[in-house]
Amino acid sequence: MDQGKRNTLRMNWTIVVLLATAMIFGVGSTLQAADTVVRIGNIIPLSGPSASVGQQGKNAREMAVEEINAAGGIKSLGGAKLEMIYADSESKPEKGVAEAERLINTEKVNLLTGCWNSAVTYPTTAVAERYGVPFIVPVSVSDKITEQGFKTVFRIAAKDSWWTRDQFAFLKDMQAEFGVELKTVAFVYENGDWGKGFAEQWKKLAQNAGYKVVLDEPYPSTATDLSPVVQKIRRARPDVLLLVSNAADAILLTNTLAEYKVKVKAIIGSGGGHADPSFLKAAGQNARFIFDIVEWETDVNKPGVPEINAKFNSKYGYNLAGESVDAYAAVYVIADALERAGSLDPVKIREALATTNLQSGPGMIVSYDAIEFDANGQNKHAALSIVQINDIGKGLERITVWPKSARRAGYTPVFPMPQK
Amino acid sequence: MIYILEDAINGILMGSIYGLTALGLTVIFGVLKVINFAHGSLLMVGMYVAYWSIQLTGLHPYIALIFVVPVMFLFGYYLQDIVIKPIFKAEKDVREPITVIIVTTGIWYILDNLTLLIFGPQYRTIADNPLRGGMLEVGEMLISIPKLWGFVTAILTALIIYIFFQKTRIGRAIRATSLDREAASLMGINQYKVYNIAFGIGTAVAGVAAVTLVPFYNVFPTVGVLFDIKGFIIVVLGGLGSIGGAILGGIIIGLIESVAPQFMTATWTEAIVYGLFLLVLFVKPSGLFGVKYDW
Amino acid sequence: MTSKTVNQIALALVVLMALVLPLFVRSATYLHILILVYLYAYLTTSWNLVGGFAGVLPLGHSAFIGIGAYTSTILSLQYGISPWIGMLAGGVLATAAGVLIGLPTFKMRGAYFALATIAFGEGIRVMVENIDNLGPFNLNGPRGLQIPPLDTGLANFMFADKEPYYYIILVMLMGVIGLTYWISRSKLGYALNAGGEEPEAAMALGVNVARAKLIAMAMSSFLTALAGTFYAQLTLYIHPKSIISLDLSFEIAFIALIGGRGSIAGPVLGALLLRPVSDFSRIYFGATLPGMHLIIFGTVLVLVMIFQPRGIQEPLTRAYQYMINRFLGKTTRES
Repeated sequence: MDQGKRNTLRMNWTIVVLLATAMIFGVGSTLQAADTVVRIGNIIPLSGPSASVGQQGKNAREMAVEEINAAGGIKSLGGAKLEMIYADSESKPEKGVAEAERLINTEKVNLLTGCWNSAVTYPTTAVAERYGVPFIVPVSVSDKITEQGFKTVFRIAAKDSWWTRDQFAFLKDMQAEFGVELKTVAFVYENGDWGKGFAEQWKKLAQNAGYKVVLDEPYPSTATDLSPVVQKIRRARPDVLLLVSNAADAILLTNTLAEYKVKVKAIIGSGGGHADPSFLKAAGQNARFIFDIVEWETDVNKPGVPEINAKFNSKYGYNLAGESVDAYAAVYVIADALERAGSLDPVKIREALATTNLQSGPGMIVSYDAIEFDANGQNKHAALSIVQINDIGKGLERITVWPKSARRAGYTPVFPMPQK
Repeated sequence: MIYILEDAINGILMGSIYGLTALGLTVIFGVLKVINFAHGSLLMVGMYVAYWSIQLTGLHPYIALIFVVPVMFLFGYYLQDIVIKPIFKAEKDVREPITVIIVTTGIWYILDNLTLLIFGPQYRTIADNPLRGGMLEVGEMLISIPKLWGFVTAILTALIIYIFFQKTRIGRAIRATSLDREAASLMGINQYKVYNIAFGIGTAVAGVAAVTLVPFYNVFPTVGVLFDIKGFIIVVLGGLGSIGGAILGGIIIGLIESVAPQFMTATWTEAIVYGLFLLVLFVKPSGLFGVKYDW
Repeated sequence: MTSKTVNQIALALVVLMALVLPLFVRSATYLHILILVYLYAYLTTSWNLVGGFAGVLPLGHSAFIGIGAYTSTILSLQYGISPWIGMLAGGVLATAAGVLIGLPTFKMRGAYFALATIAFGEGIRVMVENIDNLGPFNLNGPRGLQIPPLDTGLANFMFADKEPYYYIILVMLMGVIGLTYWISRSKLGYALNAGGEEPEAAMALGVNVARAKLIAMAMSSFLTALAGTFYAQLTLYIHPKSIISLDLSFEIAFIALIGGRGSIAGPVLGALLLRPVSDFSRIYFGATLPGMHLIIFGTVLVLVMIFQPRGIQEPLTRAYQYMINRFLGKTTRES
């Protein structure tokens, strides 16, 4: 085997391949986008472990785009239509970065949205910042995302320190409203960026509120058996159980908790897996009385919500949820900013986004009253609500219970959970 | 220390199910001498087959075995026959066809994502099945009934497979081939047919494991990945090709997973399992019950 | 003109092409894709030292990438040490780890070795995921480490454009290919070759197979760790699941295998052809048919292994040789 000859053999073919690729690329990069279209790149997980929620986000965006285009597009740009380009991040940061580079440089998008997984959002927004492309983050809750000093990042959802803050505020209000004493808490969370971030804050909040932490248990989201974790919960006998879970483990955990007849006064999820449409179906009656914190719920008391939700449901077979609502709103925020900017100049678009004060329109089905970004790009008014899963005669549903002003009329939360 | 007893019981039950998932793997590994990276995917396919057959017919989950086992056997048989056999033929002289590992990985990617494409990413469970959520109360301890069923099934299956390999003609032919394939073919045993059957059996056993899991577990396209690596660890732990070793290896893993978290966070048990695995590999690579084959 | 001269000219041409390519490819996206292709070619070639030459199947190499990336990142974030020095430190650490793992595992049979490397890789990942602080070093567990954009420049190993990254990885790639070529013609190479095919015979002849394998492992892990630092400086964010992942280890091994392990350019070819396939199929199918790109990748794996188990470099070699022979007017085929 003559290595030398073989070596150069391959090298020659390498030339051919490189040449061919260079030619294709060269040709490809000369293609430009037409002016009457606004191109928006969307980097979301369409395969991999978060595929379910990625799909929901995609569907919500599609629906918003259809409506906006049907209503005449962006009028200040001569009726320009919105065009969405989707890229699969596979929940992997390097894919997100690669797709961001491609969307910006090859597809020449004017804006970006994404990425759901915080780990993907960090570096991807850095790419957008480098190129000056405005990036709307519908839902990636990690605080850090709007704390990197980037000028082009705008986030719609609340950051995770608000989520944890509200979970504890809810507990305080429930204690007062129902005169129940809560002394001990247990933290059980998925061992990722999201879970750990929440846990850090819970510890501080619990300390401030005077609760005793009887269990601090990270668990691998891909565990095949969660009985050991449930046993620890059962033996720690907490009053309150706080959870951060993805869909599969949320289902497994809920079912296992029911099997072991774990009795706590309250269980509070943190959105994510608990808010996934599969959760209710798969956990069934075991999920009854669990509280969950979300940006949004189908019974939010806002005009137009039931209609828009019904439309979404009839198109895609399931209800809107936090991610999809924020994605839907994000598209309307973009449309609104484009109208005010009246141009595709990224600096002008960014300016318009920074001065957003959206209070009406189909996009405002969010539970709060306005979308307005602070100097860091964080939506100031993003608010959260707590729902309780219960069956009041029409099957299992998620019922908004907190803040009290948003509570569904005629419903009294069941607190504490019935001790069967 | 009733806690530890309760955890140990759960560990044994769950572990036996792990062992069952690894049983098919050890059969294939032991006979064909290759790492079948598609095993987790085969388990996943079994779970979907079980899921749909229970959903559509409304039968008791374990009755679905009647349907699942033959389907999975045929699936494995023809998978080996059509996709993997050509490589064996091409690499006749190579002792350990590494290319088969790659092919099985390719099959894994294809199966998982084809399932994603066809069935979507949702998590499914069988909501109303008689086994769901049943717990046996023994004093202060709670024992999961579906896992108990799984335990019994695992032991029974292991026994059946063992008897099959020891007493039946086909079983002995398979064992002969696994020990020395040239000698076996000289005896008139069709090597490739043996491989097909072995693969079919391994896949059928995965189907049984799937049926035990479906009553209390989630079904989704990438569920197999979770059991894949664990399966290999168990096989090595128990000893390549050893049936009892697979079940026992599974139980050991189950015990670690259930008891260790009482003393540390659940996330460290993964590290312990890998550490134990490496330890066994270094100290006694043939595993607890394996024999040092010279292949 | 001999075929040797032709090959030398061809080689020179290729190197020249690669050096001037950035002048023609202006798009940052495509440069980025090329950089990743070169990175994978580098990784597979480094892997090849153990996986190809030493004849075993290591499936845990991403651990070395992680060691490299984390070492240089922690040193630069916490102590302000230049990533270049951190790169070397990472390499040394990885070498130590590689040799430590190699010592007991090289005695094992093929499949067991593969499983051991998987356990090693995953074990490291689990540890990094669970540890927030290792003594004075902040690993940050699953949240990963982010590298803030500093002043750009060679000293900081940070650049605003893609071109410098392109050249760095190109130099690394050429270096590692050259090293492979040199090893293949050295005593070490022959020892590895013999050890891979017939270890007993080789040892009977006095070849210290075990030592050769360890040397190969040491080199491979060192080089792989360097790539870890490069990657960290390129993407500016590392976390365990992406850098120390089983998927990555598998991908490196499989690309090398499809290209043709044991040959010098097989891994490079594999990377050149497969990475774009994987990226482009994700781009074209990712949105409409989720997971399709993985189905395609899986199918390529299966088909290549069935029809060309020695890798695609075999038919490509023959075709090239045929062309060269025709060009030189020879009538007999050289083998």
